Amino acid sequence: MEEEAEAEEQQRFSYQQRLKAAVHYTVGCLCEEVALDKEMQFSKQTIAAISELTFRQCENFAKDLEMFARHARRTTINTEDVKLLARRSNSLLKYITDKSEEIAQTNLERKARKKKKSENGNHNSRELAEAGVVESEK
Amino acid sequence: MERAGAGAGFRKELVSRLLHVHFKDDKTKGAVSGDALQLMAELLKIFVVEAAVRGVRQAQAEDAILVDVDQLEKVLPQLLLDF
Repeated sequence: MEEEAEAEEQQRFSYQQRLKAAVHYTVGCLCEEVALDKEMQFSKQTIAAISELTFRQCENFAKDLEMFARHARRTTINTEDVKLLARRSNSLLKYITDKSEEIAQTNLERKARKKKKSENGNHNSRELAEAGVVESEK
Repeated sequence: MERAGAGAGFRKELVSRLLHVHFKDDKTKGAVSGDALQLMAELLKIFVVEAAVRGVRQAQAEDAILVDVDQLEKVLPQLLLDF
C-alpha cells in the first residue's frame, strides 16, 4: 500500500518537473527575445529564477481564479476572472482588457468564417442532392 | 492565418495544465474557457517579459554587462506587487 502511495508521489513529482521544464523553455525563448531587443544578456541563473518564479506565480493565479469563479457562482473560469487578476496595476489592467477584446474579436471572426464555409458546403451538397433526385425520377 | 503577437509565448495546453495542477475545488476541476486560457497565456507572457525588461533596466542602471540574479532580486518586490 505504501509502495503505491510512493509511486503516485513519484509520478506527481516527475509530472511537475516536466511542467517546470516546459515553462523554463518558454521563459528562455521570451528572455532571448528581450536580450536581442535590449542588447543585454541574461545569466542562466536569472532565466532559471524567472522560470521558477513564473511557475510559483501560477499557483497564486490558479487559486485566485478558482475563487473568483466560485464567488460569481460559476463552475467555469472565464475572461472576467482573468481580468480581475490583473487589477493591481492600471497599465497591466488596460493591456489585458485590450487583449481580451482582441481575442474575442479574432475568435468571432474565425467562427463567422467557419460558419460561412459550412453554409456554402451545405448549399452545394443540397444542389447536388436535388439534381440527383430529379435524375432518378426520370 | 496571421497570429497576433508573433514570437515566443505560452501554449494554451501548457497554461491549462499549469492551472489545473493547483485547482483545489472539485467543481472547477473541469473548466477554464478557451478565451480565458488565451488571456492567461498573455498574462504569463507579460509577467516574464516584465521581469526580464526590469532586470535589464536594473543592469543598465548599474552598468552591469549582463542581467544576473543580483539585478533580478532588486526588481522582484515591485514586480510581485504589480501582479
